[in-house]
Amino acid sequence: MRSNINGLKWLQFTQDLFVLDIHNLERRWLKYKIKTFLPVFTTIILVTLLIMGTVMLWSKSKPNTTPSPLLTTNTKKIAQSRKTVSTPVENNMILEPSMDFIHSISEPAHVITPPPESGQMKNINTTQKIASSQLPPPVAKTLYVLELPPLPKAQIQSSTNNKTMTINRNESTLDITELEQRFKETSNANLGLFIARYYYEHSNYSESYNYALKTNAVNSHIEESWIIFAKSLTKLGKTDQAKKTLQFYISQSGSETAKGLLDNIEKGNFK
Amino acid sequence: MDNSLFSKPRDLFLDIVNPKDYVQIDSVSHMYQSLKNSVQKPLKMILLYGRPGTGKSMLLHKLHHDLSKHQKVFMISTPIVDEDDFLRVLAQNIFGHAPREVMTLNRFLELSDALSLPIIPIVLLDEAQLYSASLMEKIRLISDARAIKFVITLHKTDKEDVIAKEHFQTRIWESIELQNASHDELKVYIQKKLLKFNCFDVANMFNDKNIKLISTLTKGNYRETNKLLYSLFSLYCWFEENNPNTIHYNALKHKWIEMAAIHTGLIRA
Repeated sequence: MRSNINGLKWLQFTQDLFVLDIHNLERRWLKYKIKTFLPVFTTIILVTLLIMGTVMLWSKSKPNTTPSPLLTTNTKKIAQSRKTVSTPVENNMILEPSMDFIHSISEPAHVITPPPESGQMKNINTTQKIASSQLPPPVAKTLYVLELPPLPKAQIQSSTNNKTMTINRNESTLDITELEQRFKETSNANLGLFIARYYYEHSNYSESYNYALKTNAVNSHIEESWIIFAKSLTKLGKTDQAKKTLQFYISQSGSETAKGLLDNIEKGNFK
Repeated sequence: MDNSLFSKPRDLFLDIVNPKDYVQIDSVSHMYQSLKNSVQKPLKMILLYGRPGTGKSMLLHKLHHDLSKHQKVFMISTPIVDEDDFLRVLAQNIFGHAPREVMTLNRFLELSDALSLPIIPIVLLDEAQLYSASLMEKIRLISDARAIKFVITLHKTDKEDVIAKEHFQTRIWESIELQNASHDELKVYIQKKLLKFNCFDVANMFNDKNIKLISTLTKGNYRETNKLLYSLFSLYCWFEENNPNTIHYNALKHKWIEMAAIHTGLIRA
Protein backbone atom coordinates (compact mmCIF):
# COMPACT_ATOMS: atom_id res chain seq x y z
CA MET A 1 0.00 0.00 0.00
CA ARG A 2 2.82 2.31 0.99
CA SER A 3 4.75 1.49 -2.14
CA ASN A 4 1.69 2.27 -4.25
CA ILE A 5 1.40 5.69 -2.65
CA ASN A 6 5.09 6.30 -3.26
CA GLY A 7 4.63 5.22 -6.87
CA LEU A 8 1.76 7.64 -7.36
CA LYS A 9 3.77 10.45 -5.80
CA TRP A 10 6.65 9.65 -8.10
CA LEU A 11 4.29 9.65 -11.06
CA GLN A 12 2.88 13.02 -10.08
CA PHE A 13 6.37 14.35 -9.57
CA THR A 14 7.56 13.26 -12.98
CA GLN A 15 4.43 14.64 -14.62
CA ASP A 16 5.00 17.97 -12.93
CA LEU A 17 8.53 17.98 -14.22
CA PHE A 18 7.35 17.12 -17.69
CA VAL A 19 5.90 20.42 -18.72
CA LEU A 20 5.28 20.62 -22.43
CA ASP A 21 5.63 23.85 -24.26
CA ILE A 22 3.98 22.68 -27.46
CA HIS A 23 4.44 25.90 -29.41
CA ASN A 24 8.11 26.08 -28.60
CA LEU A 25 8.43 22.41 -29.46
CA GLU A 26 6.73 22.92 -32.82
CA ARG A 27 9.01 25.84 -33.58
CA ARG A 28 12.05 23.73 -32.75
CA TRP A 29 10.69 20.90 -34.87
CA LEU A 30 10.29 23.27 -37.86
CA LYS A 31 13.83 24.49 -37.37
CA TYR A 32 15.02 20.90 -37.26
CA LYS A 33 13.19 20.00 -40.47
CA ILE A 34 14.60 23.01 -42.29
CA LYS A 35 18.06 22.08 -41.05
CA THR A 36 17.54 18.49 -42.21
CA PHE A 37 16.29 19.31 -45.68
CA LEU A 38 18.54 22.29 -46.38
CA PRO A 39 21.49 20.20 -47.62
CA VAL A 40 19.13 18.19 -49.82
CA PHE A 41 17.60 21.30 -51.40
CA THR A 42 21.01 22.90 -51.79
CA THR A 43 22.34 19.79 -53.52
CA ILE A 44 19.35 19.63 -55.86
CA ILE A 45 19.70 23.31 -56.80
CA LEU A 46 23.46 22.99 -57.34
CA VAL A 47 23.06 19.88 -59.48
CA THR A 48 20.34 21.58 -61.55
CA LEU A 49 22.50 24.65 -62.08
CA LEU A 50 25.46 22.47 -62.99
CA ILE A 51 23.43 20.54 -65.56
CA MET A 52 22.00 23.75 -67.03
CA GLY A 53 25.46 25.31 -67.21
CA THR A 54 26.90 22.23 -68.89
CA VAL A 55 24.10 22.16 -71.45
CA MET A 56 24.54 25.86 -72.21
CA LEU A 57 28.30 25.53 -72.57
CA TRP A 58 27.89 22.48 -74.77
CA SER A 59 25.35 24.17 -76.99
CA LYS A 60 27.62 27.22 -77.35
CA SER A 61 30.70 25.20 -78.14
CA LYS A 62 28.87 23.07 -80.74
CA PRO A 63 30.17 24.04 -84.21
CA ASN A 64 27.60 25.61 -86.53
CA THR A 65 27.98 23.27 -89.48
CA THR A 66 24.43 23.34 -90.75
CA PRO A 67 22.44 26.34 -91.74
CA SER A 68 20.04 27.33 -89.05
CA PRO A 69 16.32 27.19 -89.76
CA LEU A 70 16.31 30.96 -89.60
CA LEU A 71 18.82 31.12 -92.41
CA THR A 72 16.90 28.60 -94.46
CA THR A 73 13.77 30.62 -94.02
CA ASN A 74 15.64 33.71 -94.98
CA THR A 75 16.94 32.00 -98.08
CA LYS A 76 13.43 31.09 -99.02
CA LYS A 77 12.33 34.66 -98.58
CA ILE A 78 15.12 35.91 -100.78
CA ALA A 79 14.23 33.43 -103.44
CA GLN A 80 10.53 34.15 -103.28
CA SER A 81 10.65 37.85 -103.49
CA ARG A 82 13.21 40.46 -104.18
CA LYS A 83 11.63 42.65 -101.61
CA THR A 84 12.29 40.22 -98.81
CA VAL A 85 15.99 40.47 -99.50
CA SER A 86 15.97 43.88 -97.94
CA THR A 87 14.09 42.66 -94.84
CA PRO A 88 16.29 43.00 -91.75
CA VAL A 89 17.41 39.65 -90.43
CA GLU A 90 15.90 38.64 -87.18
CA ASN A 91 17.27 37.59 -83.86
CA ASN A 92 20.29 35.37 -83.78
CA MET A 93 22.10 36.31 -86.93
CA ILE A 94 25.60 37.05 -85.86
CA LEU A 95 26.72 38.52 -89.13
CA GLU A 96 24.38 39.31 -91.94
CA PRO A 97 24.77 41.70 -94.80
CA SER A 98 22.83 44.87 -94.60
CA MET A 99 20.63 44.64 -97.59
CA ASP A 100 19.47 48.23 -97.41
CA PHE A 101 21.50 49.16 -100.39
CA ILE A 102 19.73 46.50 -102.42
CA HIS A 103 16.46 48.10 -101.49
CA SER A 104 17.84 51.36 -102.82
CA ILE A 105 18.71 49.65 -106.06
CA SER A 106 15.65 47.45 -106.13
CA GLU A 107 14.67 48.51 -109.60
CA PRO A 108 18.06 48.07 -111.21
CA ALA A 109 18.32 44.67 -109.59
CA HIS A 110 15.91 43.41 -112.19
CA VAL A 111 18.27 44.60 -114.80
CA ILE A 112 21.18 42.81 -113.21
CA THR A 113 19.81 39.46 -112.38
CA PRO A 114 17.73 37.91 -115.07
CA PRO A 115 20.09 35.78 -117.05
CA PRO A 116 18.43 33.24 -119.31
CA GLU A 117 19.11 30.33 -116.97
CA SER A 118 18.15 32.21 -113.84
CA GLY A 119 14.78 30.56 -113.84
CA GLN A 120 16.37 28.46 -111.15
CA MET A 121 15.84 31.38 -108.85
CA LYS A 122 12.13 30.73 -108.94
CA ASN A 123 12.66 27.23 -107.79
CA ILE A 124 14.82 28.03 -104.89
CA ASN A 125 11.85 28.31 -102.59
CA THR A 126 11.75 24.54 -102.69
CA THR A 127 14.95 24.51 -100.69
CA GLN A 128 14.73 21.92 -98.00
CA LYS A 129 16.46 21.86 -94.75
CA ILE A 130 18.63 18.78 -94.59
CA ALA A 131 20.56 17.15 -91.87
CA SER A 132 24.19 18.03 -91.59
CA SER A 133 25.19 14.44 -92.24
CA GLN A 134 23.60 14.66 -95.66
CA LEU A 135 25.56 17.68 -96.67
CA PRO A 136 28.40 17.20 -99.06
CA PRO A 137 31.85 17.87 -97.66
CA PRO A 138 33.15 21.43 -97.74
CA VAL A 139 34.51 22.46 -101.06
CA ALA A 140 38.20 22.98 -100.96
CA LYS A 141 40.59 23.86 -103.70
CA THR A 142 41.28 20.22 -104.41
CA LEU A 143 37.60 19.44 -104.22
CA TYR A 144 37.05 22.01 -106.89
CA VAL A 145 38.49 19.57 -109.35
CA LEU A 146 36.72 16.58 -107.88
CA GLU A 147 33.35 18.22 -107.75
CA LEU A 148 33.37 19.16 -111.37
CA PRO A 149 31.94 16.59 -113.65
CA PRO A 150 34.60 15.45 -116.05
CA LEU A 151 34.77 17.93 -118.81
CA PRO A 152 35.08 16.62 -122.30
CA LYS A 153 38.61 16.41 -123.34
CA ALA A 154 39.79 19.40 -125.24
CA GLN A 155 39.87 18.59 -128.77
CA ILE A 156 43.21 19.38 -130.15
CA GLN A 157 43.28 19.96 -133.76
CA SER A 158 46.61 20.40 -135.33
CA SER A 159 46.86 22.30 -138.45
CA THR A 160 49.50 21.11 -140.69
CA ASN A 161 49.28 24.23 -142.76
CA ASN A 162 50.12 26.97 -140.33
CA LYS A 163 51.27 24.62 -137.53
CA THR A 164 49.12 26.29 -135.01
CA MET A 165 47.22 24.43 -132.39
CA THR A 166 43.58 25.24 -131.77
CA ILE A 167 42.04 24.24 -128.53
CA ASN A 168 38.27 23.98 -128.54
CA ARG A 169 36.91 23.90 -125.09
CA ASN A 170 33.34 22.86 -124.73
CA GLU A 171 31.60 24.57 -121.89
CA SER A 172 28.85 22.31 -120.83
CA THR A 173 26.08 24.24 -119.18
CA LEU A 174 24.57 20.98 -118.04
CA ASP A 175 27.37 20.45 -115.50
CA ILE A 176 26.90 23.73 -113.72
CA THR A 177 23.16 23.26 -113.95
CA GLU A 178 23.55 20.02 -112.07
CA LEU A 179 25.51 21.81 -109.36
CA GLU A 180 22.89 24.51 -109.18
CA GLN A 181 20.27 21.84 -108.80
CA ARG A 182 22.24 20.31 -105.94
CA PHE A 183 22.56 23.71 -104.34
CA LYS A 184 18.82 24.14 -104.53
CA GLU A 185 18.37 20.81 -102.85
CA THR A 186 20.99 21.14 -100.16
CA SER A 187 21.53 24.88 -99.61
CA ASN A 188 25.15 24.05 -98.97
CA ALA A 189 27.08 27.29 -98.56
CA ASN A 190 30.28 25.78 -99.93
CA LEU A 191 28.49 24.64 -103.04
CA GLY A 192 26.96 28.10 -103.44
CA LEU A 193 30.41 29.61 -103.12
CA PHE A 194 31.74 27.22 -105.72
CA ILE A 195 29.02 28.23 -108.19
CA ALA A 196 29.53 31.94 -107.48
CA ARG A 197 33.26 31.48 -108.01
CA TYR A 198 32.62 29.53 -111.21
CA TYR A 199 30.37 32.24 -112.65
CA TYR A 200 32.74 34.98 -111.61
CA GLU A 201 35.63 33.20 -113.31
CA HIS A 202 33.48 32.85 -116.37
CA SER A 203 32.63 36.55 -116.26
CA ASN A 204 28.97 35.92 -115.64
CA TYR A 205 28.84 38.57 -112.96
CA SER A 206 25.10 38.73 -112.53
CA GLU A 207 25.04 35.02 -111.67
CA SER A 208 28.12 35.24 -109.50
CA TYR A 209 26.40 38.13 -107.69
CA ASN A 210 23.28 36.02 -107.27
CA TYR A 211 25.07 32.97 -105.89
CA ALA A 212 27.34 35.02 -103.64
CA LEU A 213 24.21 36.64 -102.23
CA LYS A 214 22.57 33.25 -101.65
CA THR A 215 25.74 31.89 -100.09
CA ASN A 216 25.92 34.85 -97.73
CA ALA A 217 22.34 34.23 -96.75
CA VAL A 218 23.13 30.61 -95.90
CA ASN A 219 26.40 31.35 -94.14
CA SER A 220 27.44 34.92 -93.55
CA HIS A 221 30.94 34.01 -92.36
CA ILE A 222 32.50 33.08 -95.67
CA GLU A 223 34.92 35.82 -96.62
CA GLU A 224 35.38 34.73 -100.19
CA SER A 225 31.66 34.89 -100.82
CA TRP A 226 31.58 38.52 -99.70
CA ILE A 227 34.59 39.32 -101.87
CA ILE A 228 32.97 37.73 -104.94
CA PHE A 229 29.76 39.58 -104.10
CA ALA A 230 31.56 42.94 -104.00
CA LYS A 231 33.67 42.19 -107.05
CA SER A 232 30.57 41.17 -109.00
CA LEU A 233 28.84 44.41 -108.03
CA THR A 234 31.88 46.36 -109.16
CA LYS A 235 31.99 44.48 -112.42
CA LEU A 236 28.32 45.25 -112.89
CA GLY A 237 29.09 48.91 -112.41
CA LYS A 238 27.62 49.18 -108.94
CA THR A 239 30.78 50.42 -107.29
CA ASP A 240 29.00 52.36 -104.58
CA GLN A 241 27.03 49.35 -103.50
CA ALA A 242 30.18 47.26 -103.60
CA LYS A 243 31.93 49.77 -101.33
CA LYS A 244 29.00 49.85 -98.93
CA THR A 245 28.95 46.06 -98.81
CA LEU A 246 32.66 45.88 -98.15
CA GLN A 247 32.52 48.59 -95.49
CA PHE A 248 29.73 46.75 -93.77
CA TYR A 249 31.59 43.46 -93.92
CA ILE A 250 34.84 45.04 -92.67
CA SER A 251 32.98 46.60 -89.76
CA GLN A 252 31.64 43.18 -88.86
CA SER A 253 34.66 40.99 -89.49
CA GLY A 254 37.68 43.25 -89.87
CA SER A 255 38.75 41.21 -92.88
CA GLU A 256 42.11 42.29 -94.31
CA THR A 257 41.25 40.94 -97.77
CA ALA A 258 38.06 42.98 -97.84
CA LYS A 259 40.03 46.07 -96.76
CA GLY A 260 42.50 45.49 -99.57
CA LEU A 261 39.70 45.11 -102.12
CA LEU A 262 37.93 48.23 -100.88
CA ASP A 263 41.18 50.10 -101.15
CA ASN A 264 41.69 48.88 -104.71
CA ILE A 265 38.13 49.82 -105.70
CA GLU A 266 38.47 53.27 -104.18
CA LYS A 267 41.79 53.84 -105.93
CA GLY A 268 40.33 52.58 -109.14
CA ASN A 269 42.78 49.69 -109.36
CA PHE A 270 39.96 47.25 -109.57
CA LYS A 271 37.39 47.77 -112.21
CA MET B 1 -6.84 13.98 -18.22
CA ASP B 2 -6.78 10.58 -16.47
CA ASN B 3 -9.55 9.37 -18.78
CA SER B 4 -7.34 10.07 -21.73
CA LEU B 5 -6.68 7.20 -24.09
CA PHE B 6 -3.00 8.01 -23.94
CA SER B 7 -2.43 8.56 -20.22
CA LYS B 8 -2.18 4.85 -19.43
CA PRO B 9 0.32 4.08 -22.20
CA ARG B 10 2.29 7.13 -21.15
CA ASP B 11 2.61 5.87 -17.57
CA LEU B 12 3.62 2.44 -18.83
CA PHE B 13 6.76 3.91 -20.31
CA LEU B 14 7.94 5.66 -17.18
CA ASP B 15 11.56 4.67 -16.68
CA ILE B 16 11.04 2.57 -13.56
CA VAL B 17 12.64 -0.84 -13.17
CA ASN B 18 9.90 -3.19 -12.14
CA PRO B 19 10.17 -6.96 -12.71
CA LYS B 20 6.41 -7.05 -13.31
CA ASP B 21 6.90 -4.83 -16.37
CA TYR B 22 9.40 -7.25 -17.84
CA VAL B 23 8.57 -7.88 -21.49
CA GLN B 24 9.58 -11.18 -22.97
CA ILE B 25 11.55 -10.78 -26.17
CA ASP B 26 13.13 -13.78 -27.84
CA SER B 27 16.74 -12.69 -27.64
CA VAL B 28 16.40 -11.32 -24.11
CA SER B 29 14.56 -14.45 -22.98
CA HIS B 30 17.41 -16.51 -24.30
CA MET B 31 19.88 -14.38 -22.35
CA TYR B 32 17.78 -14.65 -19.26
CA GLN B 33 17.56 -18.41 -19.52
CA SER B 34 21.32 -18.74 -19.90
CA LEU B 35 21.75 -16.43 -16.91
CA LYS B 36 19.45 -18.62 -14.84
CA ASN B 37 21.35 -21.71 -15.92
CA SER B 38 24.64 -20.09 -15.02
CA VAL B 39 23.38 -19.25 -11.57
CA GLN B 40 22.58 -22.91 -11.00
CA LYS B 41 26.14 -23.91 -11.86
CA PRO B 42 28.88 -23.85 -9.21
CA LEU B 43 30.33 -20.63 -10.59
CA LYS B 44 31.83 -17.97 -8.40
CA MET B 45 31.07 -14.85 -10.36
CA ILE B 46 28.80 -14.10 -13.31
CA LEU B 47 29.09 -10.91 -15.30
CA LEU B 48 26.19 -9.28 -17.08
CA TYR B 49 27.36 -6.41 -19.24
CA GLY B 50 26.21 -4.19 -22.06
CA ARG B 51 25.80 -0.59 -23.08
CA PRO B 52 23.56 1.64 -20.96
CA GLY B 53 19.87 1.04 -21.58
CA THR B 54 20.17 -2.51 -22.85
CA GLY B 55 18.09 -3.92 -19.98
CA LYS B 56 20.74 -5.15 -17.55
CA SER B 57 19.07 -3.79 -14.46
CA MET B 58 15.69 -5.10 -15.56
CA LEU B 59 17.17 -8.54 -16.11
CA LEU B 60 18.84 -8.46 -12.72
CA HIS B 61 15.62 -7.42 -11.04
CA LYS B 62 13.77 -10.14 -12.88
CA LEU B 63 16.36 -12.67 -11.75
CA HIS B 64 16.04 -11.46 -8.20
CA HIS B 65 12.28 -11.68 -8.43
CA ASP B 66 12.35 -15.23 -9.77
CA LEU B 67 15.18 -16.68 -7.67
CA SER B 68 14.05 -15.23 -4.37
CA LYS B 69 11.11 -17.65 -4.38
CA HIS B 70 13.46 -20.63 -4.11
CA GLN B 71 16.72 -19.53 -2.52
CA LYS B 72 18.49 -16.83 -0.59
CA VAL B 73 19.12 -13.94 -2.95
CA PHE B 74 20.12 -10.44 -2.01
CA MET B 75 20.22 -7.56 -4.40
CA ILE B 76 22.15 -4.32 -4.05
CA SER B 77 20.68 -1.94 -6.65
CA THR B 78 22.55 1.13 -5.50
CA PRO B 79 26.24 0.53 -4.91
CA ILE B 80 27.45 0.73 -1.27
CA VAL B 81 30.84 2.25 -1.71
CA ASP B 82 32.00 2.07 1.91
CA GLU B 83 33.69 -1.28 2.46
CA ASP B 84 32.64 -1.69 6.08
CA ASP B 85 29.04 -0.81 5.26
CA PHE B 86 29.06 -3.18 2.32
CA LEU B 87 30.24 -6.15 4.39
CA ARG B 88 27.94 -5.26 7.26
CA VAL B 89 24.89 -5.09 4.95
CA LEU B 90 25.84 -8.43 3.40
CA ALA B 91 26.32 -10.07 6.81
CA GLN B 92 22.99 -8.79 7.99
CA ASN B 93 21.01 -9.79 4.90
CA ILE B 94 22.73 -13.08 4.10
CA PHE B 95 23.70 -14.43 7.47
CA GLY B 96 21.18 -12.56 9.57
CA HIS B 97 23.99 -11.25 11.74
CA ALA B 98 24.19 -7.62 12.77
CA PRO B 99 27.67 -7.14 14.19
CA ARG B 100 28.37 -4.38 16.65
CA GLU B 101 32.06 -4.28 15.95
CA VAL B 102 33.72 -3.24 12.68
CA MET B 103 33.14 -5.82 9.99
CA THR B 104 36.39 -6.93 8.41
CA LEU B 105 36.82 -9.34 5.57
CA ASN B 106 38.23 -11.98 7.90
CA ARG B 107 35.32 -11.61 10.29
CA PHE B 108 32.90 -11.93 7.35
CA LEU B 109 34.57 -15.11 6.09
CA GLU B 110 34.57 -16.54 9.66
CA LEU B 111 30.85 -15.92 9.85
CA SER B 112 30.36 -17.66 6.50
CA ASP B 113 32.40 -20.67 7.65
CA ALA B 114 30.56 -20.82 10.94
CA LEU B 115 27.14 -20.86 9.28
CA SER B 116 28.16 -23.07 6.32
CA LEU B 117 24.90 -22.68 4.44
CA PRO B 118 23.86 -25.73 2.37
CA ILE B 119 23.19 -23.61 -0.72
CA ILE B 120 25.57 -20.82 -1.56
CA PRO B 121 23.65 -17.56 -1.30
CA ILE B 122 23.50 -15.27 -4.34
CA VAL B 123 24.20 -11.55 -4.27
CA LEU B 124 23.22 -9.40 -7.21
CA LEU B 125 25.26 -6.22 -7.65
CA ASP B 126 23.97 -3.61 -10.03
CA GLU B 127 26.24 -0.87 -11.40
CA ALA B 128 29.36 -2.69 -10.28
CA GLN B 129 31.63 -0.29 -12.16
CA LEU B 130 31.04 2.18 -9.31
CA TYR B 131 32.73 -0.02 -6.72
CA SER B 132 36.28 0.81 -5.75
CA ALA B 133 39.17 -1.43 -6.73
CA SER B 134 39.85 -2.52 -3.15
CA LEU B 135 36.21 -3.38 -2.57
CA MET B 136 36.16 -5.36 -5.80
CA GLU B 137 39.19 -7.21 -4.52
CA LYS B 138 37.28 -8.12 -1.36
CA ILE B 139 34.29 -9.23 -3.43
CA ARG B 140 36.64 -11.46 -5.41
CA LEU B 141 38.05 -13.00 -2.22
CA ILE B 142 34.56 -13.65 -0.86
CA SER B 143 33.53 -15.36 -4.10
CA ASP B 144 36.82 -17.34 -4.19
CA ALA B 145 36.07 -18.59 -0.68
CA ARG B 146 32.66 -19.71 -2.03
CA ALA B 147 30.98 -17.77 0.74
CA ILE B 148 28.73 -15.95 -1.76
CA LYS B 149 28.01 -16.27 -5.47
CA PHE B 150 27.99 -12.86 -7.18
CA VAL B 151 26.10 -11.76 -10.24
CA ILE B 152 27.28 -8.33 -11.26
CA THR B 153 26.25 -5.92 -13.97
CA LEU B 154 28.61 -3.55 -15.72
CA HIS B 155 28.22 -0.75 -18.18
CA LYS B 156 30.14 -1.50 -21.27
CA THR B 157 31.71 1.76 -22.29
CA ASP B 158 35.25 2.27 -23.50
CA LYS B 159 36.45 3.53 -20.13
CA GLU B 160 34.58 0.98 -18.09
CA ASP B 161 35.72 -1.80 -20.34
CA VAL B 162 39.22 -1.23 -19.00
CA ILE B 163 37.97 -1.58 -15.43
CA ALA B 164 36.17 -4.75 -16.43
CA LYS B 165 39.35 -6.16 -17.85
CA GLU B 166 41.45 -5.26 -14.85
CA HIS B 167 39.18 -6.46 -12.07
CA PHE B 168 36.91 -9.04 -13.52
CA GLN B 169 38.24 -10.70 -16.59
CA THR B 170 40.31 -13.41 -14.94
CA ARG B 171 37.78 -14.04 -12.21
CA ILE B 172 34.64 -14.19 -14.28
CA TRP B 173 33.46 -17.67 -14.96
CA GLU B 174 30.68 -16.69 -17.24
CA SER B 175 29.75 -13.44 -18.91
CA ILE B 176 26.64 -12.45 -20.80
CA GLU B 177 26.53 -9.44 -23.07
CA LEU B 178 23.27 -7.63 -23.69
CA GLN B 179 22.74 -5.83 -26.98
CA ASN B 180 20.49 -2.98 -28.05
CA ALA B 181 17.19 -4.06 -29.52
CA SER B 182 16.86 -4.56 -33.24
CA HIS B 183 14.05 -2.99 -35.23
CA ASP B 184 11.83 -6.06 -34.87
CA GLU B 185 12.67 -6.55 -31.21
CA LEU B 186 11.74 -2.98 -30.47
CA LYS B 187 8.42 -3.47 -32.21
CA VAL B 188 7.74 -6.57 -30.12
CA TYR B 189 8.81 -4.76 -26.96
CA ILE B 190 6.51 -1.79 -27.53
CA GLN B 191 3.52 -3.79 -28.63
CA LYS B 192 3.84 -6.47 -25.98
CA LYS B 193 4.15 -3.84 -23.30
CA LEU B 194 1.01 -2.07 -24.52
CA LEU B 195 -0.95 -5.27 -25.01
CA LYS B 196 0.10 -6.55 -21.60
CA PHE B 197 -1.81 -3.65 -20.09
CA ASN B 198 -4.74 -3.81 -22.53
CA CYS B 199 -3.82 -0.73 -24.53
CA PHE B 200 -5.00 -2.34 -27.77
CA ASP B 201 -6.05 0.84 -29.57
CA VAL B 202 -2.74 2.51 -28.98
CA ALA B 203 -0.80 -0.64 -29.88
CA ASN B 204 -2.57 -0.68 -33.24
CA MET B 205 -1.42 2.85 -33.96
CA PHE B 206 2.20 1.74 -34.32
CA ASN B 207 3.01 0.91 -37.92
CA ASP B 208 6.34 -0.19 -39.34
CA LYS B 209 7.36 3.33 -40.34
CA ASN B 210 6.71 4.58 -36.83
CA ILE B 211 8.75 1.77 -35.33
CA LYS B 212 11.55 2.36 -37.80
CA LEU B 213 11.71 6.02 -36.89
CA ILE B 214 11.66 5.26 -33.17
CA SER B 215 14.33 2.61 -33.64
CA THR B 216 16.50 5.05 -35.59
CA LEU B 217 16.11 7.76 -33.01
CA THR B 218 16.76 5.57 -29.97
CA LYS B 219 19.22 3.18 -31.65
CA GLY B 220 17.35 0.32 -30.02
CA ASN B 221 18.09 1.55 -26.54
CA TYR B 222 15.27 0.48 -24.19
CA ARG B 223 15.71 3.36 -21.78
CA GLU B 224 15.70 5.92 -24.60
CA THR B 225 12.66 4.23 -26.10
CA ASN B 226 10.83 4.48 -22.80
CA LYS B 227 11.70 8.15 -22.51
CA LEU B 228 10.67 8.88 -26.08
CA LEU B 229 7.35 7.08 -25.77
CA TYR B 230 6.62 8.75 -22.46
CA SER B 231 7.13 12.15 -24.14
CA LEU B 232 5.16 11.07 -27.19
CA PHE B 233 2.13 9.97 -25.20
CA SER B 234 2.36 13.13 -23.13
CA LEU B 235 2.09 15.05 -26.41
CA TYR B 236 -0.89 12.95 -27.39
CA CYS B 237 -2.51 13.67 -24.04
CA TRP B 238 -2.00 17.37 -24.62
CA PHE B 239 -3.44 17.29 -28.12
CA GLU B 240 -6.32 15.10 -27.00
CA GLU B 241 -7.22 17.70 -24.44
CA ASN B 242 -6.52 20.84 -26.47
CA ASN B 243 -6.83 19.97 -30.12
CA PRO B 244 -8.34 16.49 -30.56
CA ASN B 245 -9.03 16.94 -34.28
CA THR B 246 -5.36 16.73 -35.05
CA ILE B 247 -5.06 13.16 -33.76
CA HIS B 248 -5.18 10.33 -36.27
CA TYR B 249 -6.01 7.06 -34.59
CA ASN B 250 -4.76 4.82 -37.38
CA ALA B 251 -1.10 5.78 -37.11
CA LEU B 252 1.30 7.81 -35.05
CA LYS B 253 2.34 11.15 -36.46
CA HIS B 254 5.98 11.30 -37.48
CA LYS B 255 6.01 14.95 -36.63
CA TRP B 256 4.98 14.26 -33.05
CA ILE B 257 7.51 11.45 -32.71
CA GLU B 258 10.19 13.91 -33.80
CA MET B 259 8.84 16.56 -31.46
CA ALA B 260 9.02 14.06 -28.61
CA ALA B 261 12.58 13.25 -29.66
CA ILE B 262 13.45 16.94 -29.57
CA HIS B 263 11.91 17.21 -26.13
CA THR B 264 13.86 14.26 -24.77
CA GLY B 265 17.09 15.43 -26.38
CA LEU B 266 17.38 12.62 -28.89
CA ILE B 267 17.24 15.24 -31.64
CA ARG B 268 19.22 18.42 -31.27
CA ALA B 269 17.19 21.25 -32.71
